[in-house]
Amino acid sequence: MDQLKMIGRELAMGSQGGFGQSKEFLDLIKSIGETRSKAEEDRIVLREIETLKTRLGNPNTPKFKLKEYLVRLLYVEMLGHDASFGYIYAVKMTHDENLLFKRTGYLAVTLFLNEDHDLIILIVNTIQKDLRSDNYLVVCAALNAACRLINEETIPAVLPQVVELLGHHKEAVRKKAVMALYRFHQRAPGSVSHLVSNFRKRLCDNDPGVMGATLCPLFDLITIDVNSYKDLVISFVNILKQVAERRLPRSYDYRHMPAPFIQIKLLKILGLLGNGDKKASEHMYTIVGDIMRKFDSTSNIGNAVLYECICCVSSIHPNPKLLETAADAISKFLKSDSHNLRYLGIDALGRLTKINPEIAEQHQLAVIDCLEDLDDTLKRKTFELLYKMTKSSNVEVIVNCMVDYMININDNHFKTEIASRCVELAEQFAPSNQWFIQTMNKVFEHAGDLVNAKVAHNLMRLIAEGFGEDDNIVDSQLRSSAVESYTRIIGEPILPSAFLQVICWVLGEYGTADGKYSASYISGKLCDVAEALSTDEIVKAYAVTALGKIYSFEIAAGRKVNLLPECESLIEELLASHSTDLQQRAYELRALIGLDAHVVANLMPMDASCEDIEIDKGLSFLDGYIQQAIENGAQPYVSESERLGMSNISNFKSQEQHEFLTHSLRFEAYELPKPSMTPQVPPVLASPTELFPVSVPYYHTEVNYSTTPVPSISSAGSSELQLRLDGVQKKWGHPSYFSPTSSTLNSDAAKIQNGSTKPDSVGSANSEARHVSYDSRKPQVEISPEKQKLAASLFGGASKSDRRQSSSSQKVPKNNSHAAYKSHVEKTATSDTGAQKTSQPPSDLLDLGETTGTSILPSLDPFKQLEGVLDQTQDPTSLNTGGFSGTDAPDIMSLYVDTSLRDQGNSTANLLSTVNDSSSLLSGFSDATNRTGHGGNTVAQLTQKLSEGPNHKDSLEKDATVRQMGVTPSGQNPNLFKDLLG
Amino acid sequence: MLLYRHSRLVCRKKINLQNLKVFCGQFDTIHKYWGPNWKLLLHKPDANQLRSERSAKSTEYRREGEKGKSKKMGIRFILMVNKQGQTRLAQYYEYLTLEERRALEGEIVRKCLARNEQQCSFVEHRNYKIVYRRYASLFFLVGVDNEENELAILEFIHLLVETMDRHFGNVCELDIMFHLEKAHFMLEEMVMNGCIVETSKANILSPIQLMDKAS
Repeated sequence: MDQLKMIGRELAMGSQGGFGQSKEFLDLIKSIGETRSKAEEDRIVLREIETLKTRLGNPNTPKFKLKEYLVRLLYVEMLGHDASFGYIYAVKMTHDENLLFKRTGYLAVTLFLNEDHDLIILIVNTIQKDLRSDNYLVVCAALNAACRLINEETIPAVLPQVVELLGHHKEAVRKKAVMALYRFHQRAPGSVSHLVSNFRKRLCDNDPGVMGATLCPLFDLITIDVNSYKDLVISFVNILKQVAERRLPRSYDYRHMPAPFIQIKLLKILGLLGNGDKKASEHMYTIVGDIMRKFDSTSNIGNAVLYECICCVSSIHPNPKLLETAADAISKFLKSDSHNLRYLGIDALGRLTKINPEIAEQHQLAVIDCLEDLDDTLKRKTFELLYKMTKSSNVEVIVNCMVDYMININDNHFKTEIASRCVELAEQFAPSNQWFIQTMNKVFEHAGDLVNAKVAHNLMRLIAEGFGEDDNIVDSQLRSSAVESYTRIIGEPILPSAFLQVICWVLGEYGTADGKYSASYISGKLCDVAEALSTDEIVKAYAVTALGKIYSFEIAAGRKVNLLPECESLIEELLASHSTDLQQRAYELRALIGLDAHVVANLMPMDASCEDIEIDKGLSFLDGYIQQAIENGAQPYVSESERLGMSNISNFKSQEQHEFLTHSLRFEAYELPKPSMTPQVPPVLASPTELFPVSVPYYHTEVNYSTTPVPSISSAGSSELQLRLDGVQKKWGHPSYFSPTSSTLNSDAAKIQNGSTKPDSVGSANSEARHVSYDSRKPQVEISPEKQKLAASLFGGASKSDRRQSSSSQKVPKNNSHAAYKSHVEKTATSDTGAQKTSQPPSDLLDLGETTGTSILPSLDPFKQLEGVLDQTQDPTSLNTGGFSGTDAPDIMSLYVDTSLRDQGNSTANLLSTVNDSSSLLSGFSDATNRTGHGGNTVAQLTQKLSEGPNHKDSLEKDATVRQMGVTPSGQNPNLFKDLLG
Repeated sequence: MLLYRHSRLVCRKKINLQNLKVFCGQFDTIHKYWGPNWKLLLHKPDANQLRSERSAKSTEYRREGEKGKSKKMGIRFILMVNKQGQTRLAQYYEYLTLEERRALEGEIVRKCLARNEQQCSFVEHRNYKIVYRRYASLFFLVGVDNEENELAILEFIHLLVETMDRHFGNVCELDIMFHLEKAHFMLEEMVMNGCIVETSKANILSPIQLMDKAS
């Protein structure tokens, strides 16, 4: 029966395609289709590879045969076997005259090769030729290939033709040219930055297909830089209006919706443009409202558009009427039977709760349903929602749910994600120390190896330093509860290494502190750990150090120390260990035990981990040595931040994000050392001696120096953490990273947003009202009491929300606050100043009262704003105005570059409407450089640093061109700098 | 009744007994196809294995993250896989090596094919999402970035099927197998650089029809 069907099929094939496929091909496909196991399939493919190898080599193969072989090669590769022997034939095929063969060749090449493959160079020429072809289908095929295969180096070879094709008479070609240009922009933004304006032009194309394709690159560009595209808001709104009014050809309709995919893309763009911008958002309200009203709830695509509308509404400046419609739509989603719609509903709810936290409470039962659903995707999404709406009042329930879920899943990626979220929430909202320790224990127990090593160090620090208050009783309670729980847990058979490290450290520091446990009890436990984990040297090292601490505390307290027999044997064993680190620790331990009480008390003071160690970060003791080296002709060290500052400049040229470049390699060669340069440096250049003190703090050896005493963390995932200078470890056994985790930063930001939308005073009143409404709703649905309980605990007491801020602020450790603060300043500085009202931080969080002041200021005078920023930055770090040589100077510089560039870019944008964006940014920059030049000496120095020393000349030249274009800097600003910098 | 949900795709390929068995014991057949090894991954790895894997994984994830950052694209890949987990069409919009593709396909297919009809058509995988839809014996899997509108992608899959349907007339798995290159051409017209660029069926098919005529 099956065979009969096959034969029928083959007959049908013969009549269908222009080229009847050969019997051989049909047989191959048939046999692949009929395989029932991977092994069988592999056998077939391997046989096929052999056949193809001999056939392809034959020079007399007719072309249509060759095409068929290529398709067979596609199968080989698709089924997971290497077909590299045939790549060259695919390349050859692209030279063919026949369109079908050519296109098949291009297809095979795009599927086989990546853009860095050696064979690409052979194709570039063909692509170039085909781009000039008269046949538009050939041009399309070449553009398709160009989109996939052209790399950074070959872009210039095809760029002129692609740009020319943007004006081709065939819309299909224009569309593909736009996408090719977009691809080039992704690959190497610098090389096509002068062509970005073409995207704007193509937006007005007559053909809806080209217009729709142009939305993709524009979406990307707008994500990177919103401000320079604000002028397009009205165009986008108009296009959306036309689409919604069915002005597009009917062929774009899908399920009776007018061009839904274009609508979705437009709504995405509008969401970006309207974010935090009241004026822009006001243009959008009508059309978004119209679409939401008219939508078709029966089809998937209608719901997709509606969902996109909700996303847009939650992103733009809030409009109560639209929010209400959105809330209605969400409730429809959540009530639906379709899991897909419920998934979207949960997601949309998460977006809307940011603006209006009460919405979630109306849907609490639906949310609980989704949480208990068997569908993992839905569950995970619901956890995401819960994560977003966590408050101090419901943190216990949510984190417990998350931990339970985490224990039950196998996927490491998601386990890591949920574990880190648990940690984050617990750190932020923990209602009590007891609970915090318990939660962390659970998380570590089940996902200890997956969470970031930083988390373990944070936990240790938290236990050591307490919760910030100078309340020693609370701290010691915390410690003893930690010790108690750890002595219990330590008996468990399998514990993750990171968790054992924490346990060992805590037991060593505080095991005997409250006198509840004897030294021999704790040391026995520690010996057990060290022996049980014969392979894990890090844990062993922690355990030995902990033993040393316990015994020295005993000695210092004047008690007689009896080494346990197992402890003795452990030390004996470690003295002969292969690891030099363990050996040294063992020797130290033995030496320590032999000393008398007074010496030990000095060596190992109680609770020393909380004391700060003074570290000469400037490495001033090396000054003499460096001076000598420089006199002997060595080049002065240029600090990392300055090098970054340089790349910052080129960065703006290429309009790339700052982060990308910090990770990238530096390609320019190091300069050769010039003999005794110092005295003859011309005054225009940045003199090395002037720069010299700045560079010292970032001296490289210091980084190495800070790692050497910490062998214990060297392999514990520290390689993926960037070492910070302020992360120097404290005292032995307690490596501490003081750099805050990025996640905490994010959450801080999130909190700020939350806090901003709802003032606390209103919050309590609202929550009361909510309680009432919840009560009135309760009787109408019959739900199991547990569910109701869960719902009540999740959504109930919002009234405590004010407490959470105070608790979170006290839990930000002192060392963190500075960095967190900085990032905040950066945030405010970079975000759009025109509409800052929505993101005013709660003033009690990090004592940022001043920031609010600046953020309200209109963006008209960037220097006023800059002044504010500089002021604040100096305030908490207690730098005097001349103190720019400190470590903070680079930060200030980057801030400065940020603000001034952005705002300059804006203000000059109107004047230079003919010049494209990048050059307007550049001119803005050099303009700013010039202005700062009027300030005092310090400013000049800063400017030089900014403009990368020798390049100062360049910037002056640029400035000159700017002047020619008619932008002259106003003369009043330098005064500001005089005031500021003295 | 599941079999008749997408009647057009089914009607050409008559359902025989074997097919039915395959439908019911879908999970078994994937197992058979991929061999016993893939099931190993379902077991909880022990601590030691975990540790050694972790270092490799962490770099992998990081690299993925960087990729995601540097190149923003909506659609990362489009796969067509039959119910036994055999790949029928694969198009990646970011470059992966052969081994990476193989591993990815195995993982994804296992994840998606184990789900039932009532569950969501979306699956989170690593740092992206997979939107999938089933037509008779064929699964369409699309890997998208997290910001993408999942429901729209789901409908995009349907648009793709409709387009192929219009060209082949009642498209089925074998059509795609016999005309792999044409299926790819259609995809090339619809998606470029990971973005949906064309949704009008006439526009998608006209170059392909012209090519047929010319040759």
